[in-house]
Amino acid sequence: MTNKTLMMPAAGVEAEVMPLRGRVVKSKWTRDLLTFLMVFGPGLIVMVADNDAGAVSTYSQAGAQYGTHLLWIVLLLLPVCYFIQEMVVRLGIATGKGHAAMIYQRFGKWWGLFSLVDLQLVNFLTLVTEFAAINLALSKMGVDPRYGVPLAAAGLILLVLTGSYRRWERIVVFLCLLDFAWFWIAFRLGPPLGQIVKHALLPSMPAGGITPELMFLVIAIVGTTIAPWQLFFQQSCIADKRLRFADLKWARLDTFLGACITVTAAVCMMIAGAASLTHGFRFTDPAQMAADIGTYAGPVMRNLILLMMINAAVLGTTAISLSSAWAYGEVRGWPHSLQLPWRNARGFYSLYLICVAAAAGIVLIPRAPLQLIILGVQVLAGVILPSAIIFLQLLLNDKELLGEYANKPWNNWVNWTIIIVLFILSLILAAQVAAPNLFPSAAGGPTT
Amino acid sequence: MATMASPMDLETRLEKRKDHFVVVHPLDDVFETKVDTDALGPMAMTRTVRLSLLSLRAYLILMVLLVVYHVVMLAR
Repeated sequence: MTNKTLMMPAAGVEAEVMPLRGRVVKSKWTRDLLTFLMVFGPGLIVMVADNDAGAVSTYSQAGAQYGTHLLWIVLLLLPVCYFIQEMVVRLGIATGKGHAAMIYQRFGKWWGLFSLVDLQLVNFLTLVTEFAAINLALSKMGVDPRYGVPLAAAGLILLVLTGSYRRWERIVVFLCLLDFAWFWIAFRLGPPLGQIVKHALLPSMPAGGITPELMFLVIAIVGTTIAPWQLFFQQSCIADKRLRFADLKWARLDTFLGACITVTAAVCMMIAGAASLTHGFRFTDPAQMAADIGTYAGPVMRNLILLMMINAAVLGTTAISLSSAWAYGEVRGWPHSLQLPWRNARGFYSLYLICVAAAAGIVLIPRAPLQLIILGVQVLAGVILPSAIIFLQLLLNDKELLGEYANKPWNNWVNWTIIIVLFILSLILAAQVAAPNLFPSAAGGPTT
Repeated sequence: MATMASPMDLETRLEKRKDHFVVVHPLDDVFETKVDTDALGPMAMTRTVRLSLLSLRAYLILMVLLVVYHVVMLAR
């Protein structure tokens, strides 16, 4: 069945002709709006969850070090984000399966296992950084992390255990919409609008020109905006939601809106960082930045930034843990759907639970090697990203698999350009982090 | 509970009234037939693609070794 918006006879007859649950509407406009709202979700969630704790740290650091000078880079990443995730949307809708399953089936066991192991590892390390951010923000708010972190972990576990995809999606979409608070934060703290528009639209370099530190930060911005888990997450999410061929245009719109929101929120985070620079504060981490801003903008602003940091970490955690659980379930052939109750998908839920609980537990260990973990995230993300995107591109050119949904020549031109740029940046990032002596003047770098 | 209208009957009636639409949530809809990926097997690749993937594999192994070396050095 491909036609999802059936023409219906007059009211009162729908009981005869509706074997499925549906809503009867009278106008095409309402039909389109309602269809979009029903399809809406995976695109927004994957994009907003990408602005996780690491992203908050990276964007605010960029603002705190270079003011609004790097806004144009973030804006440039909008089409990149969209084009990559749009490919995932097509793949997910056409196959009804997740990305890990596709790699396993089409490229064989070696690549399937490599992608899976790398994804699980980098995801787990990223989860630790998410909980580290929750820990940091709670401490700054005066909440004891020994209670706050386990509470957050318990909430994140309960979120998926309801046996309803829709319930999970509604709650997560609500959390995503809280990201609009960044707009208010930027509005209250921001520099003149003219300066923001100028630096967003006209590429410019900060005073001092191109330095290794600047290069590192630019790579980190790119790395944090396009993360490997996003490919796995959105495709599995689309498969779990059972999106149909007719939903493709709405899923594309969902992804595009998500990209717009996430890039705008990233701009706002950078503006918040720039505000702390204007007042002469030195950036150490986003929680400290919130405290610094609080000294002149008030405790409400400080707590709001800290809460948004926690929200970013919570969104990142649920999306990343799910991408791990979905991927593992797909490859192992386990039942892996949020629609299933616990008893019917124990392996899938157990993996999610283990990821969340273990990451939260590590953060609570005194003197845990968090710096080493952050380093691991950067390197492994740098390693997995090019390979993941190359597989995506190959799959999208697989006419046997996708038929009319395969890439057009112009798609390939755009995508290969993106892949080459990402590959070079990932190589530099991975080499920089794994062998810092290659670039001796670079003094450390931000988290991704 | 009302009985199902016959497909022909329904089609005729639907044609007459085009001012009502039913929107069905994907999760409430019947399963849509997708590509049978299990039956497709591994992807057919040209020699260039195969060589590129082999190079990628070598790059990844090299990177992993580099990371392991770096972690060991940090731990010492």
